[in-house]
Amino acid sequence: MVAIDPALLTNILLIGLSGTLICLAVHFIPVGGAPAAMAQATGIGTGTVELAAGSGLVGLITASYMYAYEPLADIPLVMAAGAMGSMVMLASTMFAGSLIYAYGVAVPFASAQVKKDPITGDRQDTYISKGTQGQGLPTICYVSGVVGAALGGAGGGLIYFVLMDLYKPYLALTSAFAVAGVFTMGVMYVNSVIPSYGVGGTIEGIHDPKFRRVVGKDVITSFFVSILCGLLAVLIAGGMSV
Amino acid sequence: MSDIKERSPNQLMLFGIIGGLLGIYLTYLLPLAGEITGGKIEEVLNTIAPVAGALGAICAVMWGADAVRRVAKYGLGTGVPSIGQIAMGMGIIAAMFGLAIVQTNILAGPIVALVTASIIGFIIGWFAQNVIKMKIPVMIRCMTEIAASGTLIIIGFSAAVAGNFEFANIVELVFDNGVMLAVFWVGAVAMLHPFNACLGPDEKQKRLLYLAGSTGAITMAVIGIAAIMTLGASGVLTLVLGIVLWVIFYKKFWDEVYNDASCVVGTGLIPKMEA
Amino acid sequence: MVLDLTMSMAILALMGALATIAGCLEDLESDVGSQSNPNSQVQLAPQMGFLHRIYNKAISGEPISNGMSAVIGGTVTTVLLSQKFYPLTAIVIGAFIAAIILGIFATTSFAGRVASQTRFKQPLYMDIMRYTTPSIIAHNFIMNFCLVAIAYIQFEILGYPFTIPFLALIWGISVGAIGSSVGDVHYGGEREFQNREFGCGLNTALSGRIVRKAESGLRNSIDNVWFCAKYGGPATGIALGLTVFFSSWPTTIFGYTWKAIGVGVLIVAVLTIMNRLVELNVRHAYGPYKEEKNETEAKA
Repeated sequence: MVAIDPALLTNILLIGLSGTLICLAVHFIPVGGAPAAMAQATGIGTGTVELAAGSGLVGLITASYMYAYEPLADIPLVMAAGAMGSMVMLASTMFAGSLIYAYGVAVPFASAQVKKDPITGDRQDTYISKGTQGQGLPTICYVSGVVGAALGGAGGGLIYFVLMDLYKPYLALTSAFAVAGVFTMGVMYVNSVIPSYGVGGTIEGIHDPKFRRVVGKDVITSFFVSILCGLLAVLIAGGMSV
Repeated sequence: MSDIKERSPNQLMLFGIIGGLLGIYLTYLLPLAGEITGGKIEEVLNTIAPVAGALGAICAVMWGADAVRRVAKYGLGTGVPSIGQIAMGMGIIAAMFGLAIVQTNILAGPIVALVTASIIGFIIGWFAQNVIKMKIPVMIRCMTEIAASGTLIIIGFSAAVAGNFEFANIVELVFDNGVMLAVFWVGAVAMLHPFNACLGPDEKQKRLLYLAGSTGAITMAVIGIAAIMTLGASGVLTLVLGIVLWVIFYKKFWDEVYNDASCVVGTGLIPKMEA
Repeated sequence: MVLDLTMSMAILALMGALATIAGCLEDLESDVGSQSNPNSQVQLAPQMGFLHRIYNKAISGEPISNGMSAVIGGTVTTVLLSQKFYPLTAIVIGAFIAAIILGIFATTSFAGRVASQTRFKQPLYMDIMRYTTPSIIAHNFIMNFCLVAIAYIQFEILGYPFTIPFLALIWGISVGAIGSSVGDVHYGGEREFQNREFGCGLNTALSGRIVRKAESGLRNSIDNVWFCAKYGGPATGIALGLTVFFSSWPTTIFGYTWKAIGVGVLIVAVLTIMNRLVELNVRHAYGPYKEEKNETEAKA
């Protein structure tokens, strides 16, 4: 076993942190699953994994572009670039979804988990249609989603940066981009599915009581699994160095 | 596969592991045998070696599809796709690790990757069962199996594109041009699609396994197209064999559909069945 | 490739237009095949005794299936480009092969799902299979073409570090996630239950009672996509167009600096405010559900 080098340890910890950020992101993004697609539940009508991974990957594109073209890019800038790409995707998606809920299905937005919207103070329960668990995207869900997307994108950017630093000495630049990108994608998917198991497929965002219940154990699982992935990533670099 | 009772999980696991590893190792060993014999035979062996990798991966696809079936039957709550995504995520990390870490002992690569994937799958399955408390009895075993089959799928198809499973080779021929993403993704869909497509109360394992063979063969054909770019003649062979296998499995799948469906009609009104 | 500002903006505008078309067609493809979340109702209907003539396509969800067809398109395009094909030809052939493969997956899904509903006596209508599958392939072809073209522009002209299959895969996953979130609501919340009162969410008691009789004759998926093309499709296109355009616009104008990040955050803030305006407009226009004034819905 190679001597424990502080730089190596930092890398592993950073990768663990990035996985945790991605896991947290899933808890913030408001997803209602199949019922939400039928205006039966609050949130976006898709799966937690797909939206979190999708927005994280768009963040990865913007982060990688920033990394490739700004030689002085440091970790915060790459993370911010990832966050920006991810936020833009989720904001556009949620806005277009709101248009459909508002004018295509013609339902007011309401959350079933709180009586009043924490940000705007609007009354929610009288606007829930009969037999449903809320519908649409009230402002708290929207803001929660944007914050979640930022976390996910930042996590993706972070792990990409760390991996590029690890692999650049050993591979041609184009190969390093590809290997780092694929590994990031793998970690992103693993860390999106773990919290989706924890929340059971749907969550309304930060105001949902479920959030406080599950976020602890999901984050612990994610951190541990990401540390493991970080260890593997560092060992791959060791394997390539010979 | 002509009996009515189902294939046991252990049978399929052995089929997947042995078939997969055999196919992967043949991509390395056949050219070695060719070097010994030399001449025309060497050329032939060099051309058909990568095809074995793809065939091995199809065995792993069938194993993985059955493992997905076993765990998804309990109702995962978030859908079948997510378990496939996590499996392939683990599979690719374990595959990269296993192939890179062995450095000069190339032959150990796939075994190390398989063991690593199983360990990660076991850990995640354990966490899902005991920390997140998903309460699915077969979760740990199936998560391990899915991760392991995911790794074999990735290594098998990568070997079919790169010629063998040396890591430097794979980085140059599979990662650089982006074909690894096709391996990753189409391989994942090949594993996930069979159960999702046959979802329903009257789902039958035989139909699912034929469909898994069919999706595996489609992946093989796509990989063959990519291999035309990297390897040349082997790619054409992989593509043609993939299409042939697809036709065989697709026809068998449709035979089962005609057998299983309530009625298959050319056209018609809705039968009067409402209460 | 170093481009001057005018050229960069022109390319960005082209990418935005391609993305809008791709988004629209992706949603329509999922409507004509009835994929993803509203498909759960189509799957449920025979169980409740409501047999139907709707195509039941389920390829593990839209992000995965659109990612698959985009990555196959990107891979075949890369292979052809390495053989020195003209880029447009390469992209067209790649998109075509990917669409055919998706069509194959769609047929197996329809056949497999109906064959697993034997006990509910749901028939497998081969004419639905025969004339809807080419429609699915056609929609998917246009979407693939647009996505692979975006990936090609990003890789070859703008110099992104990821290769064409990787970029195509990411946009495929994104367009699937967006289509599943935006356009499917129009299909599932509106068209599938069109015989219900307009202006309310789907009551859980109505699960499985999809519309099976159309304006004239029996409803099928082609009728559904005709309707959704009027709103659901274009809205999805807007979402993806905004994403592709605004994720690259700040860095093009302001360079690779914190200023660009700030502009991006500003754009997101503007979208948040617009969402709030829509929310307020709708609350005032529709008002509360009067019969709910004194009771609160139980929550999960």
